[in-house]
Amino acid sequence: MLNFNTPIMDTKEFSEIKISEIEPILKINLRGKNRDFVTKIGKELSIITPVDPNTSSSNEKLNLLWLSPDEWLIYSNEKIDLNGANFLEDKLYNEISKVNLGSITNVTDHWIMINLSGTKIFELLSADCPFNFNSFKNSKGAVVQTLVNHIDVVIHNKNINNVNLFVRRSFTNHLWSWLNDGASRL
Amino acid sequence: MSKNLRITNNKFIDQTSRISFKFDGKTLYGFKGDTLASALLANNIHLVGRSFKYHRPRGIMACGSEEPNAIVQVGNDASMTEPNTRATEIELYEGLEASSQNCWPSVNFDIGAINNFFSPLIPAAFYYKTFMWPANFWKLYEYFIRKSAGLGKSPTEPDKDIYDHRYLHCDVLVVGGGVSGIMAAKTAAKNKLNTVLIDDKNILGGTTLFQKNECFKINNSYSSDWLKKEIETLNSLKNLTIKTRTSLAAYHSYNYLLARENLTDHLCLNEKKDKIRQRLWKIRAKKVVIATGAMERPLIFNNNDRPGIILSSSIKKYIDYYGVKCGQKVSLFTNNDSAYETAISLNNNGVIVNSVIDIRDKTNSLIVKQAEKLGIKIHWKSSVVNTNGYKKINSIEIMKLSDNGTAVVGKKIKEECDCLAISGGWTPRVHLFTQSGGKLKFRNEDNVFLPDKTDLDQISIGSCNGDFELDEVIENSVNLINKFLKVNNNDYVNLEIISSKEIDKKNIWLLPSDKPLGKTKPFLDFQNDSTANDVKLALREGFKSIEHVKRYTTTGMATDQGKLSNMHALGIIAETAGVKMGELGTTTFRPPYTPLTFGAIVGRNIGEFFDITRRTPMHDWHVEKKAEFENVGQWKRAWYYPINNENMNEAVQRESKAARDSAGILDASTLGKIDIQGSDTSEFLNRVYTNAWSKLEIGKCRYGLMLNEDGMVYDDGVTTRLSENHYLMTTTTGGAANVLSKLEDYLQTEWPELDVYLTSVTDHYGTVSICGPNSKKILSKVIPDLDLSDKEFPHMSFKNALIDNIKCRVMRISFTGEHSYEINIQSSYAKSVWEKCFDAGKEFNITPYGTETMHLLRAEKGFIIAGQDTDGTMTPVDLQMDWIISKKKYDFIGKRSLYRSDTIREDRKQLVGLLTEDPKEILEEGAQIVAETNKQPIEMLGHVTSSYFSPNLNKSIALAVVKNGKKLKGQKMFVPMKDKTISVTITDTVFLDKENKRLNA
Amino acid sequence: MFLINCPYCGERDQSEFTAGGEAHIVRPKQPTELSDDQWAEFLFMRKNIKGVQLERWNHAHGCRKWFNMVRDTSNDKIHAVYKMGEKPPIK
Repeated sequence: MLNFNTPIMDTKEFSEIKISEIEPILKINLRGKNRDFVTKIGKELSIITPVDPNTSSSNEKLNLLWLSPDEWLIYSNEKIDLNGANFLEDKLYNEISKVNLGSITNVTDHWIMINLSGTKIFELLSADCPFNFNSFKNSKGAVVQTLVNHIDVVIHNKNINNVNLFVRRSFTNHLWSWLNDGASRL
Repeated sequence: MSKNLRITNNKFIDQTSRISFKFDGKTLYGFKGDTLASALLANNIHLVGRSFKYHRPRGIMACGSEEPNAIVQVGNDASMTEPNTRATEIELYEGLEASSQNCWPSVNFDIGAINNFFSPLIPAAFYYKTFMWPANFWKLYEYFIRKSAGLGKSPTEPDKDIYDHRYLHCDVLVVGGGVSGIMAAKTAAKNKLNTVLIDDKNILGGTTLFQKNECFKINNSYSSDWLKKEIETLNSLKNLTIKTRTSLAAYHSYNYLLARENLTDHLCLNEKKDKIRQRLWKIRAKKVVIATGAMERPLIFNNNDRPGIILSSSIKKYIDYYGVKCGQKVSLFTNNDSAYETAISLNNNGVIVNSVIDIRDKTNSLIVKQAEKLGIKIHWKSSVVNTNGYKKINSIEIMKLSDNGTAVVGKKIKEECDCLAISGGWTPRVHLFTQSGGKLKFRNEDNVFLPDKTDLDQISIGSCNGDFELDEVIENSVNLINKFLKVNNNDYVNLEIISSKEIDKKNIWLLPSDKPLGKTKPFLDFQNDSTANDVKLALREGFKSIEHVKRYTTTGMATDQGKLSNMHALGIIAETAGVKMGELGTTTFRPPYTPLTFGAIVGRNIGEFFDITRRTPMHDWHVEKKAEFENVGQWKRAWYYPINNENMNEAVQRESKAARDSAGILDASTLGKIDIQGSDTSEFLNRVYTNAWSKLEIGKCRYGLMLNEDGMVYDDGVTTRLSENHYLMTTTTGGAANVLSKLEDYLQTEWPELDVYLTSVTDHYGTVSICGPNSKKILSKVIPDLDLSDKEFPHMSFKNALIDNIKCRVMRISFTGEHSYEINIQSSYAKSVWEKCFDAGKEFNITPYGTETMHLLRAEKGFIIAGQDTDGTMTPVDLQMDWIISKKKYDFIGKRSLYRSDTIREDRKQLVGLLTEDPKEILEEGAQIVAETNKQPIEMLGHVTSSYFSPNLNKSIALAVVKNGKKLKGQKMFVPMKDKTISVTITDTVFLDKENKRLNA
Repeated sequence: MFLINCPYCGERDQSEFTAGGEAHIVRPKQPTELSDDQWAEFLFMRKNIKGVQLERWNHAHGCRKWFNMVRDTSNDKIHAVYKMGEKPPIK
């Protein structure tokens, strides 16, 4: 069997901040422009496709994040079975990409998900993130794509003082140590 | 400590906690709450430094950030010492060590002081004029100038302190915690606006905090008592954040501001440890209220720089706030009412007030009358014409002013004193307003520049807006704040305010003396040691622009940016040149308002966080195998894998040979990968690449070259057709982000009609590349089910496969010219697949190779690296890659540019191969190529772009760009180096296996 | 540092954006039929004015969408932003 490796596989706790890499999480990138695409996605996932900027919708299994007027990101709530075939990806690929409704791309390993929780997480991020978290903080489900320490990230507000941060895998070690360094000083 | 200099009934200083500190090696004592300056003055130490040019003794002159003289070195640790700090801003802490700067060997005996006697020989721009010739003597001059000029010592070791940055977003930012700032902050926060109030002092309140004078009362209390109650109410406001010890450094457009918060500078050494020293706040405010107050001006007269000559308002702060008497017998010299407040405070605290010398004819304001009632003597219509005392003032000379104020008349009176308070009026602190792009206007009656027009959502209130009287400050601020915030706060309406009003105003920029101008020393810029005479000289020499005079005389160019000197310089220039001050304008106030430490600017972006690093999924394996790493963009790529103490050359020779003789393995995960889907993808590829894509079969790969619209090569890579409308494009490692953004640009702006979607999958896949004659055998061990026959799986094709049930894509493509495969698998498994290939290859001596070997192997085949062999000026034709330009396609990016008159020139620089006459001689990359060596000047025909010693050919090979190179094949050229000239021959770019036999070996 | 109102994502810091030069320069549909001078006009010639200018910007670190901006180059004031394909709202 092949070994499964993620960059961190760790959890760190500081006063009022907890940082953990949560993997493996299924992630699929969706792109499409027309109405049929949006309807189809909603139907296939049993979820309302968020069309308002910087928002998301979620159900028990999945979260669907708005990334741009023609781009969305799906990620699963639960860790995925490494050996299980990826039904969802195949289904969406056949229903959407194959019929030229849009594109379906597996990005499970493109992004690494880091969960940040605690009362000081926004202070931690604001050390090097120009985004104004003042209203984001209080809006559950809000999504933002911005830069943290000059690295592209997607941040999903899961709950009060609890966010999932997505960072491209190759940047993960760097951002992880930056977050830990910052958290140790708050 | 001289007890009699400290008054005991003072609330701001904790006289129960004594603090010991060292100044110039001597142990002294102060109290908690002191600044270094107040503690030194309490110890009767005025002399703290020597002036920059003439090495004249200089003393503490102010009490805040405008201090020009008391510039000291703090600490003596090689990593923590800090030069050019203002003693007036350093809060005293146990163990503080500070020393004078710019004096040698000591502040009391300074050898450079001899310059003072030669000073007529050191006029403005003396250094510029004198040390110009002979030019090669500069090295010698520089040594002595630096030694004698010395503005402090820089630390010689890395800073151990920790610094931080943080972004902050607020509705209202209030800068300055004086009366008007506090009113603004309270009004904003009460109206539910998210408000931040910052002040550079350790306590809010500004100068009103210690104002106990019958002439300034609010609702029957001293203005200070009223203000204290206001400050107490701030604590209950939920929307208000107060940051003290926070100095606003810069105010940029869009209300983006930088402020430095001092977190530990006031703590004693063991309390500082492991804490963040300073934090730089990056503030975005919807609205900004500037309430930065005003600074007192000095007066410009002969010998106005002696220790003991201090700004009047500073003397008041030292006595009323710090409880320190700056002298026992004080004279005051003024052109306005505010010096009388100081005189009254001194008098009330038992200091002998000699007299007030006032240049005005006579005035009858409330405060002046109060001073007269206390019996304070006033010399009306008089001026100080000289001061005496070398290391400390001991007397002044006073004369009557002529009616027009241009001369002094009558008898000279000598008055003994140990301190002279000077007050030349007030300058609103408009620095931040102008930094933000605001335009100033000039008010003639009291010679001040005031905020006028701004594009930003901001206001200036209080004395920085030209309101100097207490009642005006309050009444005008209330109105401005309510209007600006669109609220209606009634807290400050109907206050009963008593405020002395200044009735008479008079100003003389350069006060007359009984001596001719050339024999006097009226200092303008105390820190850079320039006098009024220097400014006048500059004007005589023909300088007219204020910016030029500033640079020529260096007035206003020291670390204080001329906070005290600029207005007088302008005044004197206007007067001398006969123009109005409002028309002359000001010099530019640039950020930072006060100097920032490098630490605060850099924050945590040091060491491992200096630059971002990216790692491949196999990174840890490379580390274990002791690979040396190379930075490729942000990526850390394995460069070579030395074994048994090999150097780079030895390792690369071994790796290159192994890859061609048997098998090599390379981590190619860093290549950019773009997933492309949509019904118009092949049309899209046709438009972005130079070659044709419509006929690429499913399961096949093709190399493509991407140009800019100007026809120059931009990027290259292999693209694979995965299914009917699904492709995977690879880009160069460095070009990945730019290529994706460029393609998105075309799709969104030029060709929105195309049904094409791009998704970056660079990080989703790890890529293992195995090459060499045994690569096929190795792959067949790793994926036994895959048919690797040339018929089933030929060069430039791809297969889906499974490795231990995990999906992967295998491409048979080659960047080395060898039979080779690239396995793309999701990153979580890439390291494991890499190890599996490595284990499978052990019997074939599979050798991991890094980027250096990869570069060597492709150079043997004459494959280009976009960005190394191309530099944005090479067309495909220049690269001798005409074969990749489709003749049939109507259009593609850059096509039209390929036959512009410039791109079809035959004598463009073209890519060629080079062989050295001596096969062991390796050319230097970047070396120039010439056709003849004995002609001067030599025409440079091109340069070497890639150069290696090839172990497989056993000779040195190189790629180069050479003017008209295509036609020069077989010609001899020369590469002149520092110590020799190397003979080379121009060749074909392909050095090895011209028939491509090895691809199918 | 500007504050830019991305037409899709709202107000964001300038550091999330990249600038793409003058707007409304349409790539010729038939480049091969153009003379060198005509092609050079498209390729190289830019107004670079002091004053109100129409520019292309990309929300590179956000939604990755290109859009247009009306900006005064003399004082950096952004008068408006509008989507690709739309007409400038003010001039």
